[in-house]
Amino acid sequence: MSLIPGRIAALFGGRRWRSLAPLAVLIVLCVLIAIANPNFIEVRNLVRLANSAAVPLTLAMGLTFIILMGSIDLSVEGTLSVSAMVLVLLAVNDGNGNDYGWWAVLAAIVAGTAMGFVSGLVQTMLRIPSFMGTLGMWFIGLGLSVYMLGGSAIKLNDASIRDLALHRFLGLPVAVWVAFGAFLLAAIIQYHTKLGRHILAIGGDEDVAKLSGVNVVRVRITAFALAGFFFGIAGVLAAAQLGQSHAVIGDGRLFAAVTAVVVGGTALTGGEGGVVNTLIGVLIVTVLANGMILLGISPYIQQTVQGLMIIAAVALSLDRVRLRIVK
Amino acid sequence: MKDTKNFTVNRRTLMLGATAGVAALAMPSVLRAQDKPTLVTSIRSLSNPYHAVWKTGAEAYAKWAGLEHVTLVSEGNSEKGIADIKAMLAKTGGNMVLNSDPNDTPDARPIVEACAKAGAYVVTQWNKPPDLHPKDFNPNYVSHIEFDGISSGKTIAEILFKTIGGKGGIVALGGLISTTAAIERKKGLDAALAANPDIKLLDFQVANWKSTEAFDLMGNLLTRFGDDIKGIWAANDDMGSGALEALRAENLAGKVPIVGVDGIKTAVDAVRTGEFACTVTSDPFWQGGMGLAIGYNAKIGKFDPTKEPPEHREFYGKAVLISHDNVEEYYKTNVDAKPEIDWNDLWGRVTGAIRT
Amino acid sequence: MSAMLQASNIIKNFPGVHALRDVSIEVRPNEVVGLIGENGAGKSTLMRVLAGGYRPDGGSLTLDGEQLRMRNARDAARHGIGMVFQEQSLVLNLTVAENIYLGAEDRFTRFGLVNWRAMNAAARRQLAKIGIDIDVTARTSELTFAARQMVELAKALTLEEVVDRQLLILLDEPTSVLNASDIEVLFARVRSLKSRASFVFVSHRLDEVLNISDRVYTMKDGAVVAEHRAAQVTAPELHEIMVGRGLQAEYYREARQQPARETVMVEARGLGANGFYHGVDLSIRAGEIVGIAGVVGSGREEVTRTIGGFVQHDAGEMKIAGDAVRFGSPEPAVRKGIGYVPRERRLEGLVMFLSIAENISLADLSSVMRHGAIDYGKERRLAADWIKRLRIKAPGPDAACRKLSGGNQQKVVLARWMTAGSRILVLDHPTRGLDVGAKEEVYELIRDLSAQGVAILLISDTLEETIGLSHRVLVMRDGEITARFDASPGNKPNQVDLLRAMV
Repeated sequence: MSLIPGRIAALFGGRRWRSLAPLAVLIVLCVLIAIANPNFIEVRNLVRLANSAAVPLTLAMGLTFIILMGSIDLSVEGTLSVSAMVLVLLAVNDGNGNDYGWWAVLAAIVAGTAMGFVSGLVQTMLRIPSFMGTLGMWFIGLGLSVYMLGGSAIKLNDASIRDLALHRFLGLPVAVWVAFGAFLLAAIIQYHTKLGRHILAIGGDEDVAKLSGVNVVRVRITAFALAGFFFGIAGVLAAAQLGQSHAVIGDGRLFAAVTAVVVGGTALTGGEGGVVNTLIGVLIVTVLANGMILLGISPYIQQTVQGLMIIAAVALSLDRVRLRIVK
Repeated sequence: MKDTKNFTVNRRTLMLGATAGVAALAMPSVLRAQDKPTLVTSIRSLSNPYHAVWKTGAEAYAKWAGLEHVTLVSEGNSEKGIADIKAMLAKTGGNMVLNSDPNDTPDARPIVEACAKAGAYVVTQWNKPPDLHPKDFNPNYVSHIEFDGISSGKTIAEILFKTIGGKGGIVALGGLISTTAAIERKKGLDAALAANPDIKLLDFQVANWKSTEAFDLMGNLLTRFGDDIKGIWAANDDMGSGALEALRAENLAGKVPIVGVDGIKTAVDAVRTGEFACTVTSDPFWQGGMGLAIGYNAKIGKFDPTKEPPEHREFYGKAVLISHDNVEEYYKTNVDAKPEIDWNDLWGRVTGAIRT
Repeated sequence: MSAMLQASNIIKNFPGVHALRDVSIEVRPNEVVGLIGENGAGKSTLMRVLAGGYRPDGGSLTLDGEQLRMRNARDAARHGIGMVFQEQSLVLNLTVAENIYLGAEDRFTRFGLVNWRAMNAAARRQLAKIGIDIDVTARTSELTFAARQMVELAKALTLEEVVDRQLLILLDEPTSVLNASDIEVLFARVRSLKSRASFVFVSHRLDEVLNISDRVYTMKDGAVVAEHRAAQVTAPELHEIMVGRGLQAEYYREARQQPARETVMVEARGLGANGFYHGVDLSIRAGEIVGIAGVVGSGREEVTRTIGGFVQHDAGEMKIAGDAVRFGSPEPAVRKGIGYVPRERRLEGLVMFLSIAENISLADLSSVMRHGAIDYGKERRLAADWIKRLRIKAPGPDAACRKLSGGNQQKVVLARWMTAGSRILVLDHPTRGLDVGAKEEVYELIRDLSAQGVAILLISDTLEETIGLSHRVLVMRDGEITARFDASPGNKPNQVDLLRAMV
């Protein structure tokens, strides 16, 4: 069995040099920032980088599968907020008397998975494009959180869950290990399971996949549920990091996750890229944000730089000559 | 057709009409005919703690005054906000009092005009165009209330400086670049810095009012400045609490004081534990209730808006400072219990006319 | 010999179309059955019924005497029926091995993980069995069309590893994208595999069908009209049955070829582009058909694409109806009255998800506008008119173009340019993928256009077609024009002369 490292090597093996572009961008970024401000390569900063990457990485793992399939999941923020809400309301908090401990974590992940499952059902059974279906799920999730939280921020007071963010193992916050575990799981699913391959096939050519006997409906539903599972984990990590949950805890996460996936080289049209690309993409985005602060770049132009980076990354990684139509 | 003009309806008015119709249908039928005016609160959303408290204050006043109360939520959509208000005016026949936090600055004008036309009484807060004045819509446009962002930003900065002993470096987290509140609060910070030359502003960064962004930002700032950061100034409490969690992840919570604006519960808790040095609040509970109270008293003739001085028509309210000195007291009266406010004291928190 | 697969009285209807009416065929063990018919005769529909893609509205299927009910391709596979599709049906972003075992990964899966090494090895064995040497870890998109066809065949043959009976492999026009030597390779494989499987072979090329098949069914208008032993029938006989017309005599409608008019519509002097071609002199008069012959890389494709506005020339000059032009994109070419009929209808010729009516009016919307708005009634009437005039087989003007057969799609493209009033047509392999009958209808149309004074530039797959249709033939080699032939009726050049100038 070819192992993940072998697979990664094949992925970056130079057969298609363009797949190397995101990695090259990441390395160049790191070198430039380290030269400008040596603090960048301090262990403390690397730990902080890993910590800021934890939630976006977990989210982007889920989103990668959906985008690989040629669909989109806009429910990222809604699902994350539902998961964080479930967690906080079931664990020790300052809004009610619950204390279900780690059962709350399990329930939060189940809630996220259920949201994704419903997204999948909506797309396949009601035959609603994922763009619209998951847009609906986004607002359903947000509405649910607003209702359950009564519009306010509820504090998470369960010390053992907060330890996900506050306790360190081998120098890294537990949340980082969880995110890394999420990455490994996603990599195994993509590179070593039938599901991962079928997702790639559907993204490449859904009709052909169907003719080859792939159960497209089941794969789609499973993929959305899987994405929801990762969003659920991300919700737990976000609530643990911030020590609270409010309805808008997911604000801005969708854009960040899509950016990371695309910058990593996964095509929005589906069929190209994967979770390794997304890991690189998340690191690029995180390092860039960190670097801009370290370099003292004015906040007023940071967004502009991010926009430029997205265009540059896509331009580098896409073989535009082969595109017939740009839309 | 004699007059085809009547039949040309453009898409926008059609949609507004449709939205208004739907909103009207959704409202309770008890409102249809009654003598007492209906109290109406129009706010942006219920998903943020600030407006949630606002609504609680409005409901507390309505209960106290024994009146029907309806909350309209614009969800950040100006057209929906305005259309809902118009639907409400139609439903009540103008027999209503509106306390509105308009979604966007330009929205205030159509809202005020619609109310004046229908004979309803209206109080606006925070947002209005500079050339829109209550005195131009006598008597219906009763008052406009704001809170002085410059003064808030300056007050918390001064407390922060005092807490860190009058010297050392601080970092500042600003709100969404384009908003008035963000600009004014930063002006207050700048003024305080000018008066305290021993305090060094290491960096000013923007976290768009969000705790999540502040969380990531703070980690990065710690890398850049490390132990040089002696204090953190945040333009709102949400960002302040995000920064606090970033400090906590590095075992620095409580060692680097934070100040913020809004007085949300997380911040009040943090003031109690000493992790926040202070927060300042416009008191949304008061805003929600007193806005309605001012409008209602004008409506029933308790006072005549046309005879009120300018500082009662467009004024800055008094912000409430919550610091180590008064936090226990504040907690008892505002968090553990519903705040007690004298709803007859309409002008008690006026601090002066709004600067032009 | 007893039948392996028996299809009896199969009926399949689509909205407005009776695709199959009472079709019965049988396939015997170790046999290659040919299936021919014009476009729209029902061949593809029948194949899809046999492969589980469509459920028939009537009739029955039996396999080795047992009733066969299939809901999808997976059911068909379970019964040992595999299909190699007309549209290549590989997922291009996957590797060869992944494609071969797509949907059948279970046998390589342990504890939920797929053993890629085992799968690659199995794929290698499978390809070795049919004697093909292809890297199984290569991305399919990097393979040639011919290699992909072999991969598809290998994929269909994997069924024998899981099904304990003789296989039935359906080959739906597998040769349409292959060149002669690739076709020979394919046929050799099919012959060597006959001991293990039966085949149903669909093609437009009658000689191929006769070459490979044991028996041939001829379909026409959704029904089987004839069954022959391949050894006992000739291609012209089959053609006669299939089309209901004679073959060679009137094929290219030479009798209708009229002398060109005086007006020069296209004139090029010393035209050159970016190393593709250089020093090309060329003129096309109204009503004239000029064919360009040449091998791949001779530059003839680029010359036609220059006139269509896809390739910009950088040397010499080009005049359209007397005005000097240099097109940077097709749009100004269209405005100059040039219509481009591309070979890849699916990609360049038609917007497939739009209706016939919308496609016809696309190039000149003003023809269906009234008071600045599209008049849908007018658009539909226009389309209905064209459907009648060009005998387009479709339920109506609102039918989506992707549901039409190739020949009918090509007619829609031509209808569009006629609507737009194009006075110059560039025909880039206009009959590729069409059956004989559809080709003849296109030839008829081309003659009509020529008679109306349209200037036509033609490049084609066969020399025969180029010679038969054209007034004049130019031959290109290595980016240059190497010979010019007059091709007036009765004075047509022969293929050998052309070939000599081509290579």
